[in-house]
Amino acid sequence: MIKRISRRTLLTSVPALGGLLLTGCSRETFVPPRVRGGLIGAADVLTMSTNRLLLSGQPLAREFSRNEVADPFPTWNQTNPKNAEYQLHASEGFKNWRLPISGLVARPRELSLSEIRGLPARTQITAHVCEQGWSAIGEWTGAPLQRVLEAAGGVTSAARYVVIDTFDGWYEGYDLFEVAHAQTILAYGLNGRDLPRGNGWPLRLRVERQCGYKNLKFLKSIRVVDSMVGIGRGTGGTNSDFGFHWYAGV
Amino acid sequence: MDVNASISEPLRSAAQTSSTAHSYNVRICHWINVVACVYLLWSGVHIFLDFPELYWGNTGYRGYPAAFRLADWGLSWDEAGALGDRRWGRNYHFTVAWVFLINGLIYVVWNLYSKHFRDRMWPAREERTLARVRAELRDHLRWRSRSHANGSYDTLQKASYLILIFVFVPLMILTGVAQSPGFTAAMPWLLDLFGGRQSARTLHTIGTVALVLFVVVHVSEVAAAGFFGKVRSMVIGK
Repeated sequence: MIKRISRRTLLTSVPALGGLLLTGCSRETFVPPRVRGGLIGAADVLTMSTNRLLLSGQPLAREFSRNEVADPFPTWNQTNPKNAEYQLHASEGFKNWRLPISGLVARPRELSLSEIRGLPARTQITAHVCEQGWSAIGEWTGAPLQRVLEAAGGVTSAARYVVIDTFDGWYEGYDLFEVAHAQTILAYGLNGRDLPRGNGWPLRLRVERQCGYKNLKFLKSIRVVDSMVGIGRGTGGTNSDFGFHWYAGV
Repeated sequence: MDVNASISEPLRSAAQTSSTAHSYNVRICHWINVVACVYLLWSGVHIFLDFPELYWGNTGYRGYPAAFRLADWGLSWDEAGALGDRRWGRNYHFTVAWVFLINGLIYVVWNLYSKHFRDRMWPAREERTLARVRAELRDHLRWRSRSHANGSYDTLQKASYLILIFVFVPLMILTGVAQSPGFTAAMPWLLDLFGGRQSARTLHTIGTVALVLFVVVHVSEVAAAGFFGKVRSMVIGK
């Protein structure tokens, strides 16, 4: 009973209210790709909707001063993917590697690391906030994801999510609201130097308004899709396939 | 009308101060709150055990100078991590937080509207004296409260509940929200308010300990006043 009322009410009324404030934003802006059952799913929708309403003006996450930077920046989890393809490209300094941008873009293409470095860059000193509880500040330099997608002609009208795959076998989906944010960048620099291998060389995603696990390392490819159904277990990402929140703003 | 009002007003307030009856709203919200707080505490402990150190400021990670390390108290990082399940903890903490918040808002709005706070919890002028508070404190320390004779709260109890509801709980919510990258992007002043994300996490943890101590005292007082009678009154309202 609780589940039926709360979910139906939330799923319909919150996006409707949001739609008034955010013309052009769709259900994907407020609701995870797959809503979990019961009270947990209702809370997921409440959390994401509340965050997105509060963030509807796309404010920047707090940027800090350079003297607050952690250098060397802490490493966590995977620091050197064993994947043969990764090791081959790493041995060549990723000079022969291309980042494929496929799916629902006007002109699917591949970008070399130097082409990505040639795009308009953004540098931001922001906090990496791990869901475990730790946080550290780094100076990230990279190409805004929006610019990268524009280099492939931009997303089509059917596009709903940008899916990023990594060399260590992870994937995550990001809705277009997150993609459009100015601080959503593909970082190739950290603290004024090339991104260290332990922090995701050659490219790591920065989504500054979500927890660390959405900030994927060792990026391998980008594809734009209309739905997360049929990708992994269909929840929208590796972390949510494992039972963590898909929207990691908390 | 004027006659009725002048008669009923003293009767009404007399009935309220001499009765232990809790309204439906207070009783329902109280027990939902008990369940929510048990879940929040248990899930919070799980989240903490997976990263059993506390820091001050905006930065804190394994190897960074810590304000508190569970390892100093005999439980190593790996042992604590084996006890804590943060996936379970995070899912339940952020679900039950909504139950806690919505239940608390219903309770506060309802009892502001019904004047419960004004009539039964705001200390009257004669209750706001140091001598009175001192006498009450003496009684409480001997597990004897003069208020229990007529069922109304004494000044210390009124002050405790009001501070808990209107100061402490909002601070717990804000120190929780100040750890969220999403909420702090929208409200960066939260980081300034508590001196940083890690400070907020530390204060949230200290607040949890304080809340547990509050519950210990609260339940002890209930026991001193006659446990079954008080629990019965919080369940069936009589």
